[in-house]
Amino acid sequence: MGLLSILRKLRSDHHKELRILLLGLDNAGKTTILKSLASEKIDQITPTQGFNVKCVNTPGFKLNVWDIGGQRRIRPYWRNYFENTDLLIYVIDSTDQKRFEETGVELRELLEDEKLSGVPLLIFANKQDLFNAAKASDIANLLKLHTLNGRTWQIQACSALKGEGVQDGIEWVMKTAGAKAKKK
Amino acid sequence: MAMESQHVADVLNGFKLNWMNLRDASSGKIMWEGTQDLSVPGREHQARVPKKILKCKAVSREINFSSQQLMEKFRLEQRILFHGRCLEEWFFEFGFVIPESTNTWQSIIEAAPASQMMGADVLSGNVVIETNFFDDELLVSTSKVRLFYV
Repeated sequence: MGLLSILRKLRSDHHKELRILLLGLDNAGKTTILKSLASEKIDQITPTQGFNVKCVNTPGFKLNVWDIGGQRRIRPYWRNYFENTDLLIYVIDSTDQKRFEETGVELRELLEDEKLSGVPLLIFANKQDLFNAAKASDIANLLKLHTLNGRTWQIQACSALKGEGVQDGIEWVMKTAGAKAKKK
Repeated sequence: MAMESQHVADVLNGFKLNWMNLRDASSGKIMWEGTQDLSVPGREHQARVPKKILKCKAVSREINFSSQQLMEKFRLEQRILFHGRCLEEWFFEFGFVIPESTNTWQSIIEAAPASQMMGADVLSGNVVIETNFFDDELLVSTSKVRLFYV
């Protein structure tokens, strides 16, 4: 489990450094996902007022994951972190139906940015442990993901709190980023 | 010129190291946490860390800091010193720092660094983690933590 074991698998690959950007509205669960990946306790997470960057160093390979706060005040600064991104993870609170439109608008804006053009996209439909969570497939329809042209994407249902689905998403990330690196 | 030095003063005064911790990166468990004001200049802090951290396959070092001012080229240099000699060195470029932000940098290192080859008795009190923060070439803050393995 966790980032280290994923990296161990990757070590034989050619690419040396991977930059992953984690975005989404406030309270979507970005920091919880990041912490659960490292088996850290997730009981004291507060709204991120800036960034959390996790760097995993193994011989010959570096992974940098950037989790940027999702509050309205911070969103205008997101674009300062787009450069050199290898993969974008967008996190959605599947129970926050009131803000599905807002999160869709923010996502569209990200995808229209030149610096993120062609960057593979993983969407985590988070908080699936709650009874009122929308299904990942419904969120995909709502966001019209099938209309995305020229971009590799995937939507993954998960519960960061229960640790379910996160690992599956990250395995997709590594596979996709690995394939992209080989094409370079 | 006056404006520039005012900016430098604002950056320095608006920067604060809030806390630092060391974890066993395999389990995510915190082995040491320092919450004293780490940014008091010129002061060396002491960390009493359980010996067993030396047996960990992977260790994480995490630092939390706040900045009032926007920074464009923020970066850090971290060195692990043994009797003042550099055993390990890490550089990291953050780039942009959001004004009035609080941020965390965590570095997880796998594989035995040189320090793990030596025993706790040899290392204890002789290892210092030195972290320097820069905005481009401007030294913004320094933290020094001396490790005691207990």
